[in-house]
Amino acid sequence: MYKLNVVFFTAIITLIALTQTRDAFAYLDPGTGSYIFQLIIAGALGAIFSLKIFWSKIKVFFGNLFGRKDKS
Amino acid sequence: MIDNAQPEILPSSFRDPGGFLFRQNGKLHRQINKSCIDDYNSLMDSGLYKKLQEQNLIIPHGEADITPPVPDISHCVIEPEELSFISYPYEWCFSQLKDAALATLKIHQIAIEHEMSLKDASAYNIQFHNGRPILIDTLSFEKLKDNSPWVAYRQFCQHFLAPLALMSFVDIRLGQMLRIYIDGIPLDLASRLLPRKTSFNLSLQMHIHAHARSQSKYADKQVDKSQIKKKVSRNAMLGLIDNLKSTIEKMQWKLKDTEWGDYYTATNYTDDSQAHKGELVEKYIRDTTPKAIWDIGANTGLFSQIGTRMGIPTYAFDIDPVAVEKNYIDSRNRDDRNMLPLLLDLTNPSPAIGWNNRERDSLVERGEVDTVLALALIHHLAISNNLPFALISEFLTEICQNLVIEFVPKSDSQVKILLTTREDIFPDYTHEGFEREFAKKFEISACENVRGSQRTLYLMKRI
Repeated sequence: MYKLNVVFFTAIITLIALTQTRDAFAYLDPGTGSYIFQLIIAGALGAIFSLKIFWSKIKVFFGNLFGRKDKS
Repeated sequence: MIDNAQPEILPSSFRDPGGFLFRQNGKLHRQINKSCIDDYNSLMDSGLYKKLQEQNLIIPHGEADITPPVPDISHCVIEPEELSFISYPYEWCFSQLKDAALATLKIHQIAIEHEMSLKDASAYNIQFHNGRPILIDTLSFEKLKDNSPWVAYRQFCQHFLAPLALMSFVDIRLGQMLRIYIDGIPLDLASRLLPRKTSFNLSLQMHIHAHARSQSKYADKQVDKSQIKKKVSRNAMLGLIDNLKSTIEKMQWKLKDTEWGDYYTATNYTDDSQAHKGELVEKYIRDTTPKAIWDIGANTGLFSQIGTRMGIPTYAFDIDPVAVEKNYIDSRNRDDRNMLPLLLDLTNPSPAIGWNNRERDSLVERGEVDTVLALALIHHLAISNNLPFALISEFLTEICQNLVIEFVPKSDSQVKILLTTREDIFPDYTHEGFEREFAKKFEISACENVRGSQRTLYLMKRI
């Protein structure tokens, strides 16, 4: 699970890190960059979230199977 | 309809076209405009308001039978429960800001479950009510638009994530930057100030560093509309909230012992003196029957608790972030709902800020309060900050009717420490000088020596 997180995050960050940087004293709405950035990261975060839910279900399943109560 | 006074629209209530706050007949009201009927009705009818209220996450309100100030555009008027004191994010300690951030995310998450969304994530929309963070802006919700990104993502990062990261990874005092930047700390600035190691923290790299780069990239660029037509799925939205939540939850600030944080163990009081001082404070508070108390040098709140135990809302101000943090954590653990610890440098109290200097009130404007406690404080103001007694008493008359104040003489070991490395330029710093100056503004109702110490406690009433 942790490895999958790292792969997703690293992919996103590499993508963004390659873009050029400069000061953010903007004349126009600086919200545009946040808006587009959210569109870029949302897919990966959604995928990680799904995996997290899936993983917790697996833990619950095996927890029940072995008669152990899952704390999460 | 009851309408016997001119409404006064609050100067801070101008951003949202959906409505505004106003005061009439001494009560706080909110006009809800026709332009947001759908959103307001959805909040009330979808079960969201009920759910948030059950969890003490939204300020309760009732509908008000009152003529709206701007009737042409009005849908209705509501009367929210009014808080006795409004505090600001730059007056909160680390854990207060963290709890406010988590409450904001929780509210957004619950809103999504009800097909609604939190349309802004301003830290100023959160207040501490009965010890816990609560949303005070009833109009902060809109119907969830089909797979749209969260419009408040930028604001959340600027108001909560960036200051918490700076306080956690750089210096706790950087929380004070919120006083300069009313719409939260610019992410490019946060990114520049954070240490390099935070680039390897995946969530901070994403929400602050990469986010800041994206902002500067698009800062003055014409954007192709097809780029912003892309959608964010429900699952992706929940993923974003979940990631922000775990990022905030992981943020810690390790307490250090500062001059103030361990004051009670470093003080010259014996247990008996401290107990006697507590008895006197309690007696004087009872004598003033206050609706609220400001303890303006509260440290970790030992004497503020006398007020909270009596069921009186007590605002425990201190200059030291460690002391305020300890007080907040302890009060939260005790479930002390009457205590609100706040960060304040009394020699430079919170000013009025924002548009026309009227969006956020100064400390003095948020007074006056029935009773002020000024315990073991006078020597820090008069000797460490060179303030004459006349200026101290003038300030105190502006903020309170009743004053419980402790005089600490030069012979006290704590004052001796203050004078160790400096010339004594305070010839008037005596019992007589203190009483003479304060008697010009206050009537001294009671005065007793604290047993086993050289200190004196006074109860004064403003003339």
